[in-house]
Parts: sequence; C-alpha cells; structure tokens
Amino acid sequence: MNINEFKNIFKDCEIEGEKIVVKYDLVKVVEFIKYNYNFDILKDITAVDNQTPGTELIYRLYSTENEENVLISITVGNEAESVSKIFDSAVADEKEIYDLFGVNFIGNDELERLYMPESWHGHPLRKNYKDDDERLRWNE
Amino acid sequence: MNYLYFLYIEFLAKHNIPQLFGDITFYVIPITIIFIALLVVVLGLVLFERKLLGWFTQRKGPNRVGLWGLFQTIADAFKLLCKENITPNGVDKFLFNMAPLLMFTPALVVLCLIPFSAEFTFANFGTNSLIYVILAGLPVLSILIGGWASNNKYSLMGAMRNISQILAYELPIAFSLLGIVVLSSSMNLKEITLAQSSQYGIFGWYWLPCFIGFIIMFVSILAELNRCPFDLPEAESELICGYNTEYSGMRFALFYFGEYTLLFANALFLSVLFFGGYLSPFGKYLSPILFNGTLGNVLIYFEQAFWLVLKSFFVIFVIIWIRAVFPRMAAFDLLKFSWSILLPLSIFNLFLMVIIKFLTGGAYA
Amino acid sequence: MNETNLLKLNLGPQHPSTHGVLRLILELDGEKIVSCKPDVGYLHRGMEKMAEKLRYVQYLPLVDRIDYLAGFFYSELLCRNIEKALEVELSERVKAIRIIMLELNRIASHLLWIGAFLMDLGAVSPFFYAFREREMILKYFEKVTGQRMMNNYFVFGGVRRDIFDTSDIEEFLNILPSKIKDYERIIDRNPIFVQRTSEKGVLEPETALNGAITGVNLRASGINYDLRTKDSLYKGYEFKPVVMNEKDAYARYRARVLELTESAEIIKQALEQLKKYSDLNQTLIKPIGLILPEGEYYSEIEAPRGLASCYIKSKGENKPYRLKWRTGSYYSVNLLRKLLKGAYLNDAIAIAGSLDIILPEVDK
Repeated sequence: MNINEFKNIFKDCEIEGEKIVVKYDLVKVVEFIKYNYNFDILKDITAVDNQTPGTELIYRLYSTENEENVLISITVGNEAESVSKIFDSAVADEKEIYDLFGVNFIGNDELERLYMPESWHGHPLRKNYKDDDERLRWNE
Repeated sequence: MNYLYFLYIEFLAKHNIPQLFGDITFYVIPITIIFIALLVVVLGLVLFERKLLGWFTQRKGPNRVGLWGLFQTIADAFKLLCKENITPNGVDKFLFNMAPLLMFTPALVVLCLIPFSAEFTFANFGTNSLIYVILAGLPVLSILIGGWASNNKYSLMGAMRNISQILAYELPIAFSLLGIVVLSSSMNLKEITLAQSSQYGIFGWYWLPCFIGFIIMFVSILAELNRCPFDLPEAESELICGYNTEYSGMRFALFYFGEYTLLFANALFLSVLFFGGYLSPFGKYLSPILFNGTLGNVLIYFEQAFWLVLKSFFVIFVIIWIRAVFPRMAAFDLLKFSWSILLPLSIFNLFLMVIIKFLTGGAYA
Repeated sequence: MNETNLLKLNLGPQHPSTHGVLRLILELDGEKIVSCKPDVGYLHRGMEKMAEKLRYVQYLPLVDRIDYLAGFFYSELLCRNIEKALEVELSERVKAIRIIMLELNRIASHLLWIGAFLMDLGAVSPFFYAFREREMILKYFEKVTGQRMMNNYFVFGGVRRDIFDTSDIEEFLNILPSKIKDYERIIDRNPIFVQRTSEKGVLEPETALNGAITGVNLRASGINYDLRTKDSLYKGYEFKPVVMNEKDAYARYRARVLELTESAEIIKQALEQLKKYSDLNQTLIKPIGLILPEGEYYSEIEAPRGLASCYIKSKGENKPYRLKWRTGSYYSVNLLRKLLKGAYLNDAIAIAGSLDIILPEVDK
C-alpha cells in the first residue's frame, strides 16, 4: 500500500511510527483502504484508555493478497462511528468495546453489553472505574 | 402343553390332591417362571449393554457393584425407587401416570405370543404374528400420552417427532412379515418355527432366502426402539428433551426398563422369524443325548427356550455394536429413508418371496 | 411470515457437548432457524483487567488458562512480546523445544475436537479412541513440565527445564499414522456422517474474510492463509498448509485430520534440530524487577482455532498499561449469527460444532 498516495488523498492524517492517526472520517478511510488496496480482514479493534485525550481505537487491517498489515488509530470520546457495515467482525468488537470502555458506536444496530450483565453500571476497563464502589455488587 | 399337563396331574394324583387344583394352578408356575426370568433378563440386559459399550471403547463397564458388576442394575433400580416422584404443575394426572404403564405392559403381554418351546406357548392362535406387530406398536401411544400430559412444549414437539419416526417404520415391518408368511404359509409363530426345520440345518432358516426382508426388519426394529442410529428423540437433549423429560423416580424406571423389555421382545421376534426360533442349530436336540429317560424328555423344552434366548442375545449384541459405532441420523433423512427406500424395497421383497415359493414348489414349507 | 408464530428456543448454556457455556437464542419458524443471537459472558474472568494490576511474572501462569486446550500458544505470545521488547534472542535448542510443545498441543487440541464433534453427532466411540492418543501426549507433558494441562512451561527468554528423553514422542509419532488411518476408516465414509456434514454450514470465502475468520475454518474455504509460513519461530521448517475447496463442515473435519499429519512432520524436523543443538544456553530474562520499556508491542501466532495475538502497551513500568488478547473463537461465535440463518434445527449442532469454538477463549 502506498503511504504517500494515501496521504495525498486524506490530508489530515499523520503517521506515528507504524500507525496512521486519523482525526475524523474514520469510516471513509476504512472503506477507501478496503476497496482500493484490498485489505480484506479486520484482524481486531483494540481500545486503549489514555485518560485525558480519550479512548484510542486501533484498527488492524490485513490483506491476504499483498500480505501486509496496516494500523489505523483514532482517539474518541464517548461516541464513535461504526464500521460494522463494512466489516462484519466489527459488530462483536464494538460490542466488547462498548461494554468495557463505554464508547457508543453510532450505526451499529446490535450494540449491547457482551460480557457484563445488562443491568451493570459502569464500564470495567476504564482507568477511573472504581472496583470497590458500593453500587456495583452482583446481588443488586 | 399336553405332555407336561399329564405329568403334573399324575404327580398330584400320587399325593392325593384333586385334579381341579391342578387345573387351576397349572398355568401359574410357568407364568411365574417366565416373569422372573424376564425380570432377570432385563436387568441383565441393561448391564450387558453398559459392559459391551465399555469394551468397545476400551474401558471396563461397571465393575464395582457386586462381583463383575452384576448387581449394578439392581442398585440402579433401587435408586430410582427411592427418588421423589415429582408431578409438575398443570399436568393431566391420569394420563401422566398412565403413560409409563402403557410402555411397560405391552412389552410384557407380547411375550406370551412368542413360542419359547414346543409346549410353552400361552397364546397359540392362528394370527399370532399379526397380533404381535399390533401390540408392539402400543408404546407409540405411551409416547404420545407422555409428551402431551407433560405440559411442556418441548416434550410435545419431541414426542411428535418420535411418533412420526415410529409410524414410518411400522410398515416395512409388516411387509417383511408378509414375506415370511408367504414362505411358511402360516401366520402362527410356532408354525413358522416348525416350517424352518429342514434338511439344510442352519441354511434352511429364513434368514437366507429372505435376506432383504431380514435387513429391512432389523433396521426397522432399530427405529421402533429409538436406538442408535435412530435415537434422535432421546439424544436431542440439548434442544428438545423428549417425551420423558418430566418423569422421575419409578415412572422413569418404568419407561427405561420398558424400553429394554421391548428390545428383548423384538429380538425374540426377529429370532423366531429369521433364525429358526427354538430349533437347535445342530438339527437334533442335545438333552435326550445327554440325559436319559423322563428327565431328558422334559429338559428338551428348557433347551429349546435356551436356544431361542441365545439367538436373541446374538441379535442384541449386534444392536449394541451398531450403537457403539454409528452417529445419529438427522430427522428428515430418517423419514426420507423409510418412505422412499425401505418401503419399496419391502414390497419388492414380498414379490421375491412369492416367486421363490413358486419356484421351489413349497420346498421351504 | 407471521411474527407471533416464531418459537424462541435456548440452546445451552448447559449442554452435553464440550463447547462450553455457550448460549444461543434461536428463533424458529417450524424447523428452520430464522435468527440466532449468541449470548456469551458466562465465563468472563477479567483477564485483561487483571493484567493491569499484576507484574508480568505474576501474570504468566494465568495466560495458559485463556484457552485450556492450547495453553502453550498464549504463553508463547506473552513471552514473545517481552522478548521482542527487551531484544532477547532465543537459542536454537529453545526454539526447537518450543516448536515441539506447540505442535504437540495442536495435535492434542485437534484430537479432542474430533472426539467432541462426533459425540455431538451421536457416535460415542471415536471420543474414547481420540482420548487414548491424547493421553500419550498429556503423559509426556506431565513428564517434562509437571502438569498435564496449564503447564506454565515457557518463561521469558526460554523454557523452564530442558528435555532429556524424547523416546515417548518418537513412539507416539510412529503410532500416529496408523491411528489416523483408523479414524478415517470408521468416520470418513460413514454414510450417516457424510449426510450430516456435507453441504451443511457452507462458509463462503468472502463471508469468512469479512467476519475475520482465520485458521482452519478459513483454509477449508479455499484461502491459503497460514501464519506459520511467516513466523520467525518456524523459519527453516518445511510443511504445507492444508487448504480445502469445499466449504462445508465435512471439509473442516478433513482439514483438521490432515493437519495432524502436518504437525507430526514439523515435530519430526524439530526433533532433528534437538539432536543437532545439544546445548540449551538460554538467556533468561530476570523476572523480578522486570520493566518493559515504553511503547507498544504486538505479536501473533497461529493457534489451533485461528489467529491469536497479544497487544501490550507499556508506560515504562513493571505492569502493563493495557494488554489485549485477540482469539480465534471470538469471531467464530460472531459468525454463527449468519451461518445458522436458514439452517434446520438438526444441523445447528453439526454446524456450530464444526467451527471448533471454545468458550474460555471467547470470554477472556
């Protein structure tokens, strides 16, 4: 995949190490990469809670033809756009990230809690999640 | 029954007991013997199956309870007896209690029709085999009643699937039976047995000319008994639990042991039709050779029963062997197999028997 | 279709097969499945959250338990990340030992899958025959590492103990071809088995790629993607990835059986490597006081159920800031939403079983 050609089309993305950092238009970037450069597997979506900037989502794409990986990173607050219409595996990934980090994905029809029960308060993998909060007991 | 009857009356007359007593009690002794023997056989069958399945999979079967595991089934029955009889809410109480009885009783009744020896048939009328097929179909009713009365939609669905399976496999049994009837010119089970004695010994039995019928009836009996590879109703326990979900304790024991009694009865039926019933494979009976005089003549009858039971155990061994090896058939394939393959094949078998009878001019009569 | 006539049926979470606590909420129209919703989370143990509070050496024994059938693979992932971060090279003998353990684990996992798949379909014997072979592998693990499963054998920079005696493995590799032939003889052309798995659960390559399916499930649909060909640990080993072109459950079964032979070939080559390099000389990373330099580290491996990967973000402390696992079964469960639509209820178990789902992997 030609990075320079990509940078010419999407001008406001930066390259940090191995990652392509995108600020807006995530869905357009992913769609472009999928259909123009034939990246057909979304290996996973990783979420990292850097507290002040927000939650960083890292999309890892792979192409079976050219055998290369590409990483796209975006930092979001509480909401993000969903890529579930482009890649079906994102449905499960986004469910997990919603459950554990509290990021609401707009456009994902099946968004609900995955690991925690439906009535759980709070999002466990956040850094400011209080484990010993009185409200968060099983027998509530 | 005549010879033994006269022996018995003579014996009683020696001790000055009136003949009326002998008349009344003559049938009690054989019935008790058969009943006890049946219970022992069924208990032994359950253990036999578990041991065999263990040996097929390189394990020992149950071997802790009693020497060599012999008391395992008695322990199981005792455990089931001690369990609580739970009746769920909203069931139809009369039907709920009736269903296990309808499974167990026909199996016991049907044993009266099978000729255990030349003198030991209780019900020896002309259309023995047909009545057998009818009575052996009664457990269908128990499945339907059990599934309906359980007040559980999964039981009902499982019961209905079970019934469609059993109904589909009744017809090939009837047509195979007709093939045998053609060959032996009689519907009476005892006469079918006698018709199989010829100078060819083992090869005069009906499994050879009626081989297709034998295979068809064997497969259909597997389906009737809900055994592998047709045990979809029992084993779909993740999805639909089958008709005996809501049963516990003694009622479940009746279902369970009723299945094994039916297995024994059907194996006996198969042996009578195809393997020569109580005829000895050596042509002549062994008891008169081994024992002299009256004892030898009386022991013939027990020896005949022994041969019949031995043959039925061979059939049961093959049935258990099939269970150990085959996976389960899916529901629609079951029904397709029966209606589109087994039924035309059994009708073809009937024509074949007619042709054989015509060509051999009654040599197999 | 009348909406009120749909029957809602629960498949699990308890069932007599060995998938684990998987719950599928099915909606049936007569006998056909109209929609399927998987409900996971019964086995969530908080592996990722725990990692943020434990030091790396404290976390290492827990990693075997992410997938109890393929514990070595996840151990290897964690060790690889740390070795990559601290730039430690493994010696040749250590590499050969690791490959032997990994491939033996793969064989054991596939054998158990064969037994469990057939038991789902109703045949009770192949389960015991597969376990008879698996018993030999587990006995060898006990001899080398001290435990049958969850071995905790790989450490940062090497392995805990050296292997001295490989006669058990050579004997096992000698018997394996005839046992595989036995399985093929009783299972492969059994008409009931063929009828229940042929043309059921057809997985098109586009659906598989879209759903991030990797591993045997993807290769049985025709796409040749095997991470072992690009893995630095497997450099110098010759083997062929198993690719099948019919995309149904039967192809997945055949692919796993053929993979057993391929793994046996790799182990044979690794045993020769062991003979060549007889000196262990591993440079163990000191686990107490281990501090990972700041940055992000990622490694991936071909586990029996698909691609498995580990992502560590460290801020220069002795505990990770974020640790994420990517497992293969997670996406197979997600695929069931599409794969079971339109299938008959009878086939649902065969299809779900053929994807080789293990719940602890899904619910980390």
